[in-house]
Order: sequence, then C-alpha cells, then structure tokens
Amino acid sequence: MLPSVKKILKSSMSIKIIKAGAISTLQDAGRFGHRNIGVGSGGAMDVFAMTVANYLCGNGGQQPVIEINFPAPQILFEEDAVISLAGADFDATINDNNVPVWRTLLVKKDAVLKFKQPLSGAKLYLAVHGGWQEQQWLNSGSTHLKLGAGGYFGRALQKDDIIHCGSNKFLFEENKILPWQISLHELGRIYQPQNIIRCIKGAEYNLLNVWSKQKLKQNNFIINNQSDRMGIRLTGNSLSLKQSTELISSVVDAGVVQLLPEGNCIVLMADHQTTGGYPRIVSVIKADLPRLSQLNPGKVFRFKIITIKEAEDALMSMLQTLNEIKNACDHNLNKYLRH
Amino acid sequence: MQRIFERQHFEGFIETVPAYNALAVFYDVAIIKHRYQIEISAFNFVKSFTEDLLAELNTGIVIKPEAIIIPVYYNGEDLESVAQQHQLSTAEVVAIHTAKPYRVFMIGFLPGFAYMGKVDERIATPRHAAPRANVKAGSVGIAGLQTGIYPLQSPGGWQLIGQTPIKIFDLQKKDPCLLKAGDNVQFVAIGKKDFEKLNEY
Repeated sequence: MLPSVKKILKSSMSIKIIKAGAISTLQDAGRFGHRNIGVGSGGAMDVFAMTVANYLCGNGGQQPVIEINFPAPQILFEEDAVISLAGADFDATINDNNVPVWRTLLVKKDAVLKFKQPLSGAKLYLAVHGGWQEQQWLNSGSTHLKLGAGGYFGRALQKDDIIHCGSNKFLFEENKILPWQISLHELGRIYQPQNIIRCIKGAEYNLLNVWSKQKLKQNNFIINNQSDRMGIRLTGNSLSLKQSTELISSVVDAGVVQLLPEGNCIVLMADHQTTGGYPRIVSVIKADLPRLSQLNPGKVFRFKIITIKEAEDALMSMLQTLNEIKNACDHNLNKYLRH
Repeated sequence: MQRIFERQHFEGFIETVPAYNALAVFYDVAIIKHRYQIEISAFNFVKSFTEDLLAELNTGIVIKPEAIIIPVYYNGEDLESVAQQHQLSTAEVVAIHTAKPYRVFMIGFLPGFAYMGKVDERIATPRHAAPRANVKAGSVGIAGLQTGIYPLQSPGGWQLIGQTPIKIFDLQKKDPCLLKAGDNVQFVAIGKKDFEKLNEY
C-alpha cells in the first residue's frame, strides 16, 4: 500500500458517497512549478469560491475541496462535521431541510446531503473543517484526471467512495446553519455583471482583422455545451485573421482565448494543455475566471478589453475581498462555535 | 535563459516555461506588489527584470549536453507509408531517423511530450489530417520537421514510425519527466526481442 493511502485510512471523520453525480473531484488552488514538464496547474475552476468555502469552515484558503457539477452526488456524513457550500446553488438539503450556499453548516452524524436542482452557477464547492484528505502529487491534492494522479486516487468520486477528513473539534447538538453570511455586496463584486468578462489583449491579438476586432469588442458570445474543465467553447461569432498564418506552438495559461481554425473561440480553463498552436487573441483576467467558470452553457456575455494595470488592480481587489471575508469568517466562527 | 531564471529571480517568481521561440514567465502579482512596493504594474516589473537578464545572457557559450539514448523498435503503423511517400525503404527511414541527435525544443501538449527536431527533410512528413483516436504510450512519431514520443495513450495525429519500451513519463518518480527542453536525444533502433525485454509499459 502506498504511504499516502495509509495516511488517508488513519483519519477519524469521513463521508460516504451514496449516489454518484456527474463529475465531482477534489481540487485545491492548483499545482504549480511543473508546466515545463507539461503538467498544468489544474485546481478549482472557481478559485474564489473554493477559497471562501474553506474560510467558512475555518480552514486556511488552500485545503482541497470537492468541486461538484450538477447532477450532484448524495453524501452521507459518518461523523459530525462543520462544512460549507460555496459557488453554484444546487438547491441543497440536509435531511430534506433546505440549506443555503455561502454559509457555515453544522452537520450531525448520519445526516444526508442532497442537491435538488441547479438554481444558479455551474461549479459548487463543498469544504469541511480540517480539509478532505487527498493524495498529494507534485505538491498538490488536485485531481489530474488525464494522468490519474492526485486527489481521490486520481479520479472522479463514485458511489461508495469514502473520503476522510480532519476530525471535527467543535461541539453542537443538532444540524444547524450559522446565523451569518457572506455579504451579497462582496459576492456581487466578483460575480456581477454576469454578461461582461474582462480580458487583456493576447500575443496574437493584432493578427485579427479589423472586423474581427470590432466583433470581439461589441458582440455577444454564447457558452457552448462542449465546455469542460479543459476549456469553455464559445459560439455566436466567427472571427478571422488578416491572413491565415501557421504559428509555432507556444505557452498558454488559463484564461487564454484561442481562435480555432473554423473561427470559433475557446477559453482555456484549469485543465488546459500547457502549450498550444492557435492564435492567442485575448486573455480573460484572473479576477474574472470565477465569474466565467460559473456560467452555464447557453449563457451569453461580451468581452471588455482592459489594460494590464487594470487587470492587476482587479486581481488585487479580489484578494482584498477574500481577505475581508477571511476576517469576517474567523470572527464569526469564534463567536458561534465552541470547542 | 530558463537556467539563469532558476538561479536568480525575484520574489513572487513561480516558474518559466520554454517554447520554440519564447520563454513564458509566471509570477504572483500580489507578492511582487507587496514585496517591492512598485508604482508600475507587476507585468512591467517582470518585463524589465527579464530584459536585464537577457542583456546579461552570454550567447557565445553553447552547452551541448550529452545525448539521452532512447531505444526504439521501428514497427510503427505509418512506417511503410512514410517510406513510400519519400521513395525510401523502411530501413532507410530508420537509418535517417537515427542518424543524428535531436534537440528537445519544448514540452507540451501532454505531460512529458517532447517536441524534438529537426528531422531530416528526406523523412519529414505532415500530420494525418484526421488524428487517430488512440495512440499507444511510447509511440514515436514524426510531424513535419518535428519528432516526438507519446508519453501517455492519447488521441494524436503524428506519423507513427516506432515504439520505445522506455517510460517517458512516470507518475511514481519524484521527477516524473525523462526529457527537458534543451536536452539532446539520440534514437537507437532495437529489435522485437530487446523491445520486449526492456518494455516498461
């Protein structure tokens, strides 16, 4: 048995997947420093929601969380746990009582968490106090599905899987929603307006012809249902270059918008390849990747081109919001939970 | 340039990724802004740091690393057709492919996939118009003037000429990737028996 597996089995608290959903995987903030061997960062699609989910149950921001798509799994708690849901709203219930997103939830042993319907958003994060125990690979617990490495045995969660986590140190008598929440104002700064995604010009922006540059700035793009953790495919506008060009493959990153030969665009997301040969026309700013990752197929948005300076300011402002949320979470957890 | 970055970089540096004609520098905007208290953007800070390093770069010295030997059993599905397209025998294709070491220009596409070159014009062959749904791990292929090895089973459009028994990407290893950008690779033809004896897959 691998040492990392032994470590998993030693822990006390666990959950059991009683019904598998669509793809649910363990993800953290990502795997860095290995792009030069072709291993991309991976990690949560919506790093903001992932981090807040952690803060809500008293973790640092970097613990792995379960990234859930709809249809979502049904989960049995085998011990008491302090958990949180953040990101998408899938109409969650615990023992058939509704529970909200962006709140701290106290869950008793034998409680069952279910999700009824997708109300808003695309990626939901389930965090637990103490963190889910994952297999580390190259210093990250994120699941690398293609390689079958990291996370929960390198794969999506299935029926009867048991996921262990750090033991719960808080005392409580019944299932409970803590009486405070992340402010809608702060969430709005990250997720609104839904129909505008900010980007900076990419390395090959100037290969676009004039009409395509106009379309890129003014027209709506539609999220295609072929989208996944590797990339979000866009339709609705066919763009073209001044002249057809064969590019030498180069480095890409999450957020990079590539123009495919048939004229449609793809926004590279968490599990993208590390290099690519298509023109990199624009790049979605890091601060707007959470917003983009919560848009479902069929949703429509426009790109807004901003400067690098503005992109950095937006990122710093998102980090500032996260910092404020962390302080609020620490304060409230101290107020409402006793050890 | 990548090696220089490994030795001297700024706080907030994450990693560099070399490509054919570019080096990507990844950095943490928040750390740079906090540590250096700069008025300019973190992007401009990294840009000017990189330009200074470039100016110091002594391009006069070329370090030629020793070649990494990769044994190949030349039995690929496209070997015959590559030979036919160039009016060569399959033995001549093998002789030309193994005649010189190749440089690893870039790792990308898949974890551990090394883009190597340049392949001799006499065997340079464009990719298949429609990629195969499944190429076996260890397959050695040609695409235009490039040659490469599939580290994992994957869809792929390269012209397959052989199969290496060596694991190019091994999850269990601390350093999982056999080849790095800048390495030299020498292919050596082996027979079926040796292939089976050496097979790590």
